[in-house]
Amino acid sequence: MAESLFSRLGTRRALLVGCLLLPILLAGCSSSVTLQPHYFWDSLFHPSPAIINGLGLTIGISVVAQIIGVILGIFAAMGKMAKRRLFRWLAGFYVWIFRGTPLLVQLTFFVFGLSAAGIFKWPGIVIGPIDILPEILAGTIIMGVNEGAYMAEIVRAGIMAVDPGQTEAAKSLGMTYGLTMRRIVLPQAARVIIPPLGNEFNNMLKTTSLLVAVSVFELYNTFSTAAGRTYASFEFLAACALWYLLLTTIWGFFQAWVERRLARGTAGSADYNGYSLRARLWGLRNNSGNQGGR
Amino acid sequence: MTTLNISNDLLGAIGGVPRPETDVVVDARDVNKFFGRLHVLKDVSIQVKRQETVVIIGPSGSGKTTFIRCINHLEKIQGGRIFVNGHLIGYRETPAGRGLPIVGGLPIVKRLSVVGRRRKGAEGVTKLVEDREKNVAAQRQEIGMVFQRFNLFPHMTAIENIIEAPIHVRGTSKDEAMVMGRALLERVGLVAKENVYPNQLSGGQQQRIAIARALAMKPALMLFDEPTSALDPEMIGEVLEVMKELAREGMTMIVVSHEMGFAREVANRVVMMDEGVVVEEGTPDQVFSVPSQERTKTFLSKIL
Repeated sequence: MAESLFSRLGTRRALLVGCLLLPILLAGCSSSVTLQPHYFWDSLFHPSPAIINGLGLTIGISVVAQIIGVILGIFAAMGKMAKRRLFRWLAGFYVWIFRGTPLLVQLTFFVFGLSAAGIFKWPGIVIGPIDILPEILAGTIIMGVNEGAYMAEIVRAGIMAVDPGQTEAAKSLGMTYGLTMRRIVLPQAARVIIPPLGNEFNNMLKTTSLLVAVSVFELYNTFSTAAGRTYASFEFLAACALWYLLLTTIWGFFQAWVERRLARGTAGSADYNGYSLRARLWGLRNNSGNQGGR
Repeated sequence: MTTLNISNDLLGAIGGVPRPETDVVVDARDVNKFFGRLHVLKDVSIQVKRQETVVIIGPSGSGKTTFIRCINHLEKIQGGRIFVNGHLIGYRETPAGRGLPIVGGLPIVKRLSVVGRRRKGAEGVTKLVEDREKNVAAQRQEIGMVFQRFNLFPHMTAIENIIEAPIHVRGTSKDEAMVMGRALLERVGLVAKENVYPNQLSGGQQQRIAIARALAMKPALMLFDEPTSALDPEMIGEVLEVMKELAREGMTMIVVSHEMGFAREVANRVVMMDEGVVVEEGTPDQVFSVPSQERTKTFLSKIL
């Protein structure tokens, strides 16, 4: 029976259904504890403003931190490949520190550690209509800086995958290093960088839950606070997990779509009709011809 | 069939009259180059005058490709000097004995040791340091280069490949660059391929776009690094045709090539290199018909 269920629904969807049914089953079975399933259902289908806010924070922080991470990663990768030993050393040091220590320690150290020592206290900032609390600013930046250390290796692999002839051609046209990187190398490296970047962002979405340590009320903190207040840990944390699952699942579909688009143009693939990387990346195809696969 | 345009004044200037061989465009003096311990260029000295076409021949591993890569400083040299239009390429002289030169606030550690050896107290002795990247880039603007493997930018269309450097390096306006780009496409006979990406073009077409891309910077000198070696035989002709036309128009060119027919027809001079040394140098007739060196004879007998 389980087999037929799995085969009909597909593993992933079967698991999802399982997750949804589990609390109800358990609520029915258990006798010693009383669960309050409405906490579970309400936070899924009638999320409170606090949950919506937490969801927004999780997405917003993830996106901004990932952008910071990509930018820092590009610079760190270029630093690691630089001719000057100083740049190589600086980039290496950065990656070494932020990959070598736990993110949780980094968060708490740079927020509580620094302020306790009187070295630095994070300010709150206002961008237009949005008032950004100090802990949110700190959390976003620290997560971004941490992410940059991981992105550095990914970007470096991407840059190294670009034919050295491209750099030579750009140089021979009188292009400087910066221009060569920006106009010639990085656009081509993007194709190698984007698939692992998708995985990094998936990770980022979940890892923001560590921001509970610096009391940012993102998704996890919102739920764990509610769980603590009501003692309905099971209901709230299960719902919390499902929210994360929803985010990463949506992202997963988006990632798969982007990667299909990228894969279409790989050298030697039969269905490639000469669309540029840019066209493929951003979906600028102007025909509806066969594309293989879906 | 390629269509080629030559401006009328150029035709007038060329029309049968021998080219004015006046000033020297390339002046390479005693160039020495090492890859690790391997001595790949040994005191190579070559001069190329304005509007001259010099073809460098020689067996593989003879250093001919390395040599022309040194001319636009894609390779560093460990000894000698290369001047293009009177400018020292890739390096600048600093008075010796003044400590490390300061560039951009940071001392440059690398130094040329072979040239201008530092002598204590010697007056007027200079040493060479590698020039700033920005200055080298500026020098390269005047030197066009065409590669064996084309190296077109795959994420840009033909016309985008051509106008990229004029716009972003020279600061030409997009409209102006487009006009020039189309004229260049016409010149290499590929107007129809304006909006086509490189991987949809044949090797010969790609190489012609690469030539147009280099010409878009209006260089004073063109370097060709075995431009037809990666091409299918039936495509070699169209690329050589463009190059011949360019030579006839009076472009100063250095061509590393195995195309002896091209060398015979177009070259003012042929330089034979072997094992990092210039073995022989002369007009195509001299080198091909009555080579003076045994090494040249052996090489020619193998490839002709």
